[in-house]
Amino acid sequence: MKRMFACLLSLAMLLALVGCGGSSSQPSNSGDSASSKEIVIKYPTFQVGANTAAPVVAKLVEEFNAEYAGKYRIEVEDVPGDANYADKIKVMISSGELPPVVYGGGYKLLDLALQADLVVDLTDAVNADPEWKAMYNETWESADCRDGRIYASSSEGQLIGYYYNKELFNQAGIKPAETWEEFFDNCDRLLAAGITPLAMDTADGAWCTQLLLGAMIAGSGDEGLEFMNTSYPTNYNIPSVVDAIAKIQKLYQTCTTLDANGGAYENAANNFFSENVAMICNGPWMIGDFSDTSKTTEGFSDKVGVATYPGGFVYDAPIEGMFVTKQSDPALEEAGIAMVKFFTSPKAQQTALETQGMVPAGATVEITQTALDAFPLLADFLEQASVCEKRGNTLTGLMVPGLEDTFSAELPNLASGTDTPEQFCQVLTDFATANPVT
Amino acid sequence: MKQRNTGWIALFLAPTCIIFLLIFAIPLVMVFATSLFDYRLLPRTFEFIGFSNFVKLFTQDAKFLPVLKNTVVWIAIHCVLHVALGTILAFILYKKPHGWKFVRVTYMIPNIISQSAIAMIFLNLYNAQYGALNSLLKAIGLEHLQHNWLFDTATAFPAVTMTWFIFAGYTTTLVLAQCLSTDESIIEAAKIDGATSFQIDRLVMFPLVKRMIGTTVIMAATYMLQMFSMIYITTGGGPGVSTANLPLYLYTTVKANNYGYANSIGVVIIIVGFITMTLINRLFGMNKED
Amino acid sequence: MTHFKLSPKQKAARVFSYLFMALCVLVALFPIVWVVLSSFKTNREILSNGLQLPSTFSFSGYKQALEMAPILKFFVNSLIVSFASTALNVLILAMAGYVFAKKKFRFKNLIFGILSLSMVIPSTALMSPVYTVITKLHLYDTKMALILVYTALSMPISLMILRSAFAAIPTELEEAAYIDGAGFFRTFWQVMMPCAKGGLASAAVLAFLESWNEFTFALLLTSSTSTRTLPLSLSYFTSQFSFNYTAMFAAITIAVLPSIIVFSIFQEQVCSSLTAGSVKG
Repeated sequence: MKRMFACLLSLAMLLALVGCGGSSSQPSNSGDSASSKEIVIKYPTFQVGANTAAPVVAKLVEEFNAEYAGKYRIEVEDVPGDANYADKIKVMISSGELPPVVYGGGYKLLDLALQADLVVDLTDAVNADPEWKAMYNETWESADCRDGRIYASSSEGQLIGYYYNKELFNQAGIKPAETWEEFFDNCDRLLAAGITPLAMDTADGAWCTQLLLGAMIAGSGDEGLEFMNTSYPTNYNIPSVVDAIAKIQKLYQTCTTLDANGGAYENAANNFFSENVAMICNGPWMIGDFSDTSKTTEGFSDKVGVATYPGGFVYDAPIEGMFVTKQSDPALEEAGIAMVKFFTSPKAQQTALETQGMVPAGATVEITQTALDAFPLLADFLEQASVCEKRGNTLTGLMVPGLEDTFSAELPNLASGTDTPEQFCQVLTDFATANPVT
Repeated sequence: MKQRNTGWIALFLAPTCIIFLLIFAIPLVMVFATSLFDYRLLPRTFEFIGFSNFVKLFTQDAKFLPVLKNTVVWIAIHCVLHVALGTILAFILYKKPHGWKFVRVTYMIPNIISQSAIAMIFLNLYNAQYGALNSLLKAIGLEHLQHNWLFDTATAFPAVTMTWFIFAGYTTTLVLAQCLSTDESIIEAAKIDGATSFQIDRLVMFPLVKRMIGTTVIMAATYMLQMFSMIYITTGGGPGVSTANLPLYLYTTVKANNYGYANSIGVVIIIVGFITMTLINRLFGMNKED
Repeated sequence: MTHFKLSPKQKAARVFSYLFMALCVLVALFPIVWVVLSSFKTNREILSNGLQLPSTFSFSGYKQALEMAPILKFFVNSLIVSFASTALNVLILAMAGYVFAKKKFRFKNLIFGILSLSMVIPSTALMSPVYTVITKLHLYDTKMALILVYTALSMPISLMILRSAFAAIPTELEEAAYIDGAGFFRTFWQVMMPCAKGGLASAAVLAFLESWNEFTFALLLTSSTSTRTLPLSLSYFTSQFSFNYTAMFAAITIAVLPSIIVFSIFQEQVCSSLTAGSVKG
C-alpha cells in the first residue's frame, strides 16, 4: 500500500513532468560543438499563424533547413502576438538566457539585450561579406549599430502610406488628396455619399490613427516635419501637434466607425476589408492580405488603391533587425550568425517581397519584376514614394518607452470629448518629461 | 506512540509547507521588502529608497488615486448590492416555487464558466456596431441611446461593472443551501403564529443565515481584490484609468518591469484587503459564536 | 398545502418573485445563447444586425476556429495543468489536513496559523514576486510553473475542507486500526482516506474549477502556444482573428461548452462542494 501511495504520487509527478518537459521553452544549447552533430536553433517568433509575415518565415525556415541540412536546423516556436513575444524576450533577458536569434522588430529589444551584455558583435562577420556589408546604409546604421559596432541586421523596411477603396472613392467622386485641405474635403464628400471615410483605432498603440496623426503633423510645416524626425521628444504642447490632435478628435467623432473608440488594429482592418470605410493607414505588408479570401471577399484587391500622404510625405522609418545572442556554445553562436545572414540576405528580402509584398530594407535589394507583377499596388506605391521629399519616422516609433501605452489609454478620452486637445497633449508631455531617455 | 510518529508528521507536512514557502511566504516577504527598493529591469537597478515608492504612489502618480478609488467603490458595490441581489433570489427560492431547481442551476452557469469567456461574450455584446445591446435598442426604437458602451467615458464604468455584478450565482447557492438546511419546524411555528412570508424572511430566516451572508460578503470583497481578467479583456482599464483597479495597475507595472513600484502597489492591495476583512468581521460579528 | 385566497399584497409578492426569477434566468442565459446562435451566422449577418437569427445553421465557423487557432492544444494544456495541480493539491493537503486534524505535535497551532495566512492574502498582490520566483527557477513559460502556482492557489480552501473532513472522522476508527497493527501510513491510506471521500471530492472539485478557469497567472507566466491554457485562447482570438467574427463566436462556444456540460451533470456535487468550502474550519 505504500507502493500504491508511491504510485499515485509518482503518477502526479509524472503528469507534471510530462507537462513540464513538453513545454519547457528554455533555449537549450543542444548539439555538440563537434561538427558531426546537427545543431538545433530554437527560434521563438510571433510571425506565425495569422501574422502577415508567417508564410515568409515558414518559407525561409524551409529553405535554410534544406541548405544547411545535417549542419544546422531551425525549430520554430509559436509565440503568437507581438506583445507576448516582446514580454517573453524581456523575461529571458532578465534571466540571462536568450534564444540564439532574436527579432528586434519595433520593440526596442536590442538596447535591452545590449544593456545586459547578451548580444554578439556582428561587425567582423558583416565586414567579411561584401554583399551583406553593402546593405548597411544610414537607416540601417541608426537602427542596427551602436557606437560604430554592428549588432543587428534588418530584414524589412517601413515605407508607409495609406490605402483607399477606389470604388467608394468613385461613388463620392473624389481622388486621393494632394493637400490636407483636400483631404478633409474628401472626408466631407464621402460622408455626403453615406460612406464612412476612415478606419481608426485607439487600442494597442493606435497604429492606424498614429500614422494619420503623424502625417498631419509632418504636413503642417517645417516645425512639424522636424518633430517627426526627432527621437524621444519631451514636449508635445507645440502648435503643430495640438492642431493635429484637434483634427484627429474631430475625425474620431464624425468620420469613423463607432468601434474605432476601443478598437485595435484588427477592428480597423476588418472595417476596411468589409468595405465599411474608405481609407486606412498602413504599410506594404498589408498588400498580401487584400487577396486573402479568409479575410476579404473575392476580387477585393482590385478595388484597393494606394497613396502617399498629402503634402508629399511618406514614412521611411528604420526598423530594428534580427540579432544574435551570446551562448555558452560558440558553435551555436556561429549557427545564429548563419541564420541571421540567411534571413536578412538580399535573396531572403526578395522572397519576402514576392510572397507578401514586404518592402525590403536594403537599398541594394532589387525590386524584381515578379514582385511588381504580383503586387501592382506595391509598384504603384514605390513609384509614388520615390518622389516624396518629406520623410519621417512614425509618431510612436519616436516616443520614449512607455509613452505609447499612455497615449493609447488616453485616446478614448480624446475621442469622446472628455479631454480637450490641449489636455491630451499635456498628458503626453507630462509622461515624456517624467520618463525621459537620458 | 506519539513520539515515533514525528518523522511521519514532518513528512506529511513537508510538501504543503514547501509549496506555501515558494508561492506565499517568500513572495509575501518580497512584496513588503522590495517595495522599499527601486527595483527594475531597464535600466537594471536595485537600490534601497525607503518609502519613496509609497510617497510617489500617493502624491505624484496621477493614476493611483483614481485606481484606488475604483477598487474601493467596486468592493463596496459588490459587498452590498451584489450580495443583496443573490440573497434576495435565495430567499425567493428557498420557498420552493415552481421551477426553483431550474433557476438555481441556470443562475450558477455564468459563475462556472471561465471569466475570460464571460468577458469575451460581453465584449461582443457591448460592441457598438453589431452588439446585442445596441441592436436591441435599435429594434425597440431607442436608437439614440446607443453608445460605445465600453469605451465611452460616461458609460465605461457601469458597463464593466455589469459584467460581474449581475451574476450572483455563488451567493445564491450558498445562502440558499443555508436556508434549506434550517429546521423546518421553526418556520412552521412562525407560520402558525400568523407571520407573513415577509416577516418570516426578515425576522426568522435572516438571523439564521446571517453568518453565511457574512461569508459571502467576505467572498465578494476578496473577489473584487482579485478582479483582473474581466477588466483586462473588456476595457483594459480604459478610457484612461477610469475602469482600472489595483490588480490591473499592478499587472501593467510588472509588465513595464518596474518591480519595486509594483510591489508597493501589492502592499496597498494587502492592506486594503486587511482593512476590509476586519470591517466585515466586525459588522457581521463573525468571531462571535452564535 | 391547502390553497388560500391570497391577499393582494401576497399576490404582488408572488408576481414579483416569479418576475425576479425569470429575470435572473434571462440574465444568466441570454449572453451565452446569443453567442451560440451567432456562431452559426455568417460574418456579414453578424455585422449587419446583432439580433437576427441565423439564416442557416452552418458549422463553418467551428471548422474555421479549429483550423485557425490551436484551440485543441490549449484545451489539452488546460487538461494537463488542471488535473496535475488538482491531484497534487488534494494529495498533499490531505496529508497535511490529516495531521492537523488528528495528531498532536509541537507548534501545531502556530504552523496552522501561518498556513491560514494564505487565505487572507489576495493572490493578485503576489503577482510580481511570484513572477520573479518563477523566472529565477527558470520555469517561465512552462506548464510546471502553472501547476505549481495552481496547487498553491487552492491550498487555503483545500486545507480547511480537508481538515474538517478528517476531524469529523471518529477517533475510534483510528485507534482500531492501530490496534490491528497498522502503521502511520497504512492507517492514513487505508482507513482515513476512504472515510474522508466527501471532503476529498469537494476539495478536488473546487481546485479543478479554480485551475480550469484561472486567467491572471496564466497570462503572467506563459507566452507560447505550447504552454497557454484555454482561458487565454480567447484573447488570442481578439488579436489574431478579428476578421472572422463567426469563428470567434464559435471559439467562445467551444471554450464554454465543456464547463456547462460537466456542470449540468455534476451540479449537486459542485454545489455541495461550494457549501463545504465556505464553512470556516
